[in-house]
Formats: sequence, structure tokens, C-alpha cells
Amino acid sequence: MSIIGIAIGIATIVALGLITAGMEDSVQSTFNEGGAEITVTNATNLGGASALLNSSLIGDLKNVTNVSDAVGQLSARESNQSFMRSGGSNFATTVYGINASKLNLVGISKVNGSIYNEDSFEVIMGSRYADLNNLSVGDNLSFLGHDFKIVGIYETGSMMMDNGVYTSLTKLQNISDTDKVSSILVKTSEGVNDTIVSQNIKDKYGNLSTLTSEERSSMLNEVISILDAASLAISGLAIIVGAIGVVNTMVMTVYERTKEIGVLKSIGWKSRKILKMILGETLVITTLSGIIGSAFGILVAEVGVKLIGTKGFSLVYTPRTFILAFGITFIVGIIGGLYPAYKASKLAPTEALRYE
Amino acid sequence: MELIRLANVLKEYDNGAVIALNNINLSIEKGSFVSIIGPSGSGKSTLLNMLGALDSPDSGHVIIDGVDLATQKDLSDFRRHEIGFIFQLHNLLPNLNVQENVEIPLMDAKMSEKDKHRRALLFIEAVGLLDKKKQKPSKLSGGERQRVAIARALVNFPSIILADEPTGALDTKNGQKVLDVLRFVHESIGATLIIVTHDIDVARLADRTIEIRDGQIIGDYYNR
Repeated sequence: MSIIGIAIGIATIVALGLITAGMEDSVQSTFNEGGAEITVTNATNLGGASALLNSSLIGDLKNVTNVSDAVGQLSARESNQSFMRSGGSNFATTVYGINASKLNLVGISKVNGSIYNEDSFEVIMGSRYADLNNLSVGDNLSFLGHDFKIVGIYETGSMMMDNGVYTSLTKLQNISDTDKVSSILVKTSEGVNDTIVSQNIKDKYGNLSTLTSEERSSMLNEVISILDAASLAISGLAIIVGAIGVVNTMVMTVYERTKEIGVLKSIGWKSRKILKMILGETLVITTLSGIIGSAFGILVAEVGVKLIGTKGFSLVYTPRTFILAFGITFIVGIIGGLYPAYKASKLAPTEALRYE
Repeated sequence: MELIRLANVLKEYDNGAVIALNNINLSIEKGSFVSIIGPSGSGKSTLLNMLGALDSPDSGHVIIDGVDLATQKDLSDFRRHEIGFIFQLHNLLPNLNVQENVEIPLMDAKMSEKDKHRRALLFIEAVGLLDKKKQKPSKLSGGERQRVAIARALVNFPSIILADEPTGALDTKNGQKVLDVLRFVHESIGATLIIVTHDIDVARLADRTIEIRDGQIIGDYYNR
């Protein structure tokens, strides 16, 4: 019973630890995208067609000092929610258009299958998107009234990127009835300061807004630090709940043995020897509880994530979670075990023997 | 030869509301068999606890073999080497088997594990339970448990055996068995045997009977 009681405390710490680590990882991977150092958008920030940029700007930006390459990207959203797999369910999403030869600028370097042809109704999609919608190479997608064939599936490790669908820029412009782009991805020359290049662009084109990879990292760090604080609070709560369970179990276990301690004292055992015995037993109990609790915590977290159905979210196993769970258990287990044992060992044997 | 002497021993409970022992003076000879008799609440168990260094007096002195127990910092060694205590309810450890229970007092003894086993088995055989040495206390009858407790009390060859109502929880047949074992070991190892009882027939088995009431000795009888 003691082992079960303590194991529940450990399971709480482990389960919440795995979930918070998973949350951190998901957010981190969401922001972990890229290839281009600077993303250029319209500074007017009005949205819709007015936020689009003239394609001629791509050539202009290539001529800015220390810019090695620039590519336009158009994002089109299915407005009538009819984006669907043939014979499947509806899934509203955004399709990005970019020149197939420039996919490396959005961080796509390896595609399982092939890359779309510029003049065909073909798309590639992220592995996460494909998994979520049960799609694979050879299937068809309907978008803005056209059927697109899925020719490749890519994986970048970024939660956001791997949830995207890409097709030819020209094709997307044609069906969106525009010759403009939503953003321009700028690759800078090696070794140059991206911030200076970004400032040069803004100085030269007052109507453009820029976001460098450093600024993106800074935003990421801000989000991560908020999440860190949140997960610390959750972990802290788990630790407090778990620790109370462990201490309560150990205190009750040892209090129940007060009479036994009285017997040992009456036989001639020294208090120190009794404390050593309790310490040894506590270590055995907490170790067994740690193993059982960790396994139970993993099971609860895995089953919980599956039941809630957070597709794409996965638990992250870090040594920190288990070290924390075991460490806390050992510390509070020993304190919880030794405190009543110390009190009992200080009782007169007759008092300890009277304990029921 | 005097082994035990109590001088003006006073023990109170509940801030003096209950006087368990009221200025007891008593001398017990080495190797004797003494019974302490009296009604419930008379103070006989408290007296036995004083003799076994399980409790200490509020005033007065308990002197064993010339040593005043009040001068001893740690009485655990004294209890382990000199005292064999048999409780009314045996107080065996439920998770240990018969042999392990009997070996508990030998835990710190400077002897090999093999010798500890041999010594424990010697006393388990003496109380007639060799065939049950691996059984847990829960599998034994009340009389058998009490005999295990006797073996545990004797395994260190104590100079004083203290038994608090050892037959109190047993039927006549098992009670007689326990008394036979106690008398046998008392005679074989020459230990001083002090039994607390409220049974006059058990008390009369002893060489000497001390009668106690309301914390005071009201009678001291030599039975033979």
C-alpha cells in the first residue's frame, strides 16, 4: 500500500513533466522554421489584397547590397471551407505558392516523392498535415475549385512548416487571380549582419516591413520563457501534490510501526539502529515506488494524450523529468519516514508499546 | 546474593493524579523465581517495566547488579545483554518468521551468522517449535507465539527474565506449556525469573510472591 501511495505521487510528477516538456517542444518546433534570413511583408498591415506586394519587388530586393537571393511567396486561403480530399472530409487550410527551385528558402530540403511541376496542378505537403488528414502521395486535394495531385511529402521538424501545403507560385497566382505575392523571403550573403540588411531594405522601401531570423528567435525566446514559467508552475504543483502524497504515506507507514519500534527498543536496539533500518526500508520503498510510479505516469500521460486527441502533440521524455521525480521522492520520502521514526525512537519503550 | 534493589521508587502518571508505584523498596536475590501478584491497575506491570529498564522512576533508584540505572546514559545495551522481556501479547514482528524473530536480539552480537542461526535454533528447539521455524507468527497458535517470544527473550542468555502475564492470553493447556518452558529455562540457565500475574496458582509456582496493591507492596511470601 505504501508503494502504491508513493507511486501515485511520482506518477503525478512524471505525467505532468512529460506533458509540459511536450508543450515546450511543440511551441519551439512551431517557431523553428526558416531558410531565409529576412521575411519582407507589406508595412501597411491591412490584410487581404491590399497587403500583397508587387512581384517586381523581388528583383528590386535582389539588387539591395548583401542580398544573395529573394523569392516571392503567395498564401491563399480556401474561403468556402471546401478544401477536401476526394471522398474525404473537409479541411480548411492555407496553400502557399513558391517557385519549386526556391523551396530551400522556406526550409524544405528533402521531399519524400517528388517536387511539383510549375505548370501542373500538383502540391507537396508537410508530414504533419498528411498524418492529420490521412493523406499520402498520389491522393488528390481540392482547392479553390481545382483538383491538385499530392506528389510529395516533406518533413522539416517545424510544427508550423510541417502543417503546410505548397504548390507552384505561378499556378496559385493563376487560380487566385493575382500576379502579386504575400511576402518576399530574402537570403543574405554569408557573414553579413542581417539587421543591417533589414534596415537597408526598410530605408530604401518605406512601405515594407521586415522580420529577421534574429527577431524571430527573440520572439521565440519570449514565448518559450512564458511557457517555461507556466510549466514551472505546473511542475511545482505536481511536485507539491506528489510530495504531500509521499510524505503522508511514509508518515502513516512509520507511525503504524510505532509499536514495532517499541518492541525493538525493549529488546535492546539503539535508536540509531532503528533509524538506519527505517532509512534502508524507505530507500527500498521509494526506489520501487519510483519505478512503478514512473511507468504509471508514462502510461497515464500517453493514454491521456491519446484520449484527448491532440493530434501531432507528443510527449517529450527528458532525464530531467525522471531525475526530478526520483529526487523529490527520495528527499521527501526520507524526511517523511525518518521524522516519525525519530519521534518513535525517542519515546520510552513502554509508550511505544502502548501505541495502537 | 542481591541482584536487584529498588529504593524508594515513585512513579506517577497524569501529573500525579495516578500514583502507579508509591515508594517501593524491594530486594531480589540472583537466580530466584519471583512472582508479582495483584489486581489490575495495582502497579505490577509498571514495576516490571522499571526492572526491565523500559521505564524510569520519577524518584528513587533501580539498582541492578550494583549499577544504578539512572546513571546509565543509554540503557539499550543493558536491555539487550541483561534482560529478557516476555510480553503478555508476545509482540512478535509479523513480517518475520519464527527464526528471524528469535534472532532479532542477536542482530548486533559479535558472532557469525551461522552461530546466530545455531543459537536461535537451540532456543526454538527448547520451546518445542523447531518444525515451525520458518512460519510467520500469523500461522501459529497463541501458545506457540508466546513460546517464540520466550525463545526470543532467552536467546541472549539474559541474567533477568521478566514475564508480564505470559499466560494471560492463553488457555489452561497452553498456559501450562509456557510455564513449563519458563521454569525449565530458569533452572537450566540459572537466570532470575520474575513473573507478573493475577493468577494465584501461577504465582505459587514461584519461590517467592510479592503482592502489590495501589502501588504499594502489601505482602511478601516465600512459597517453599
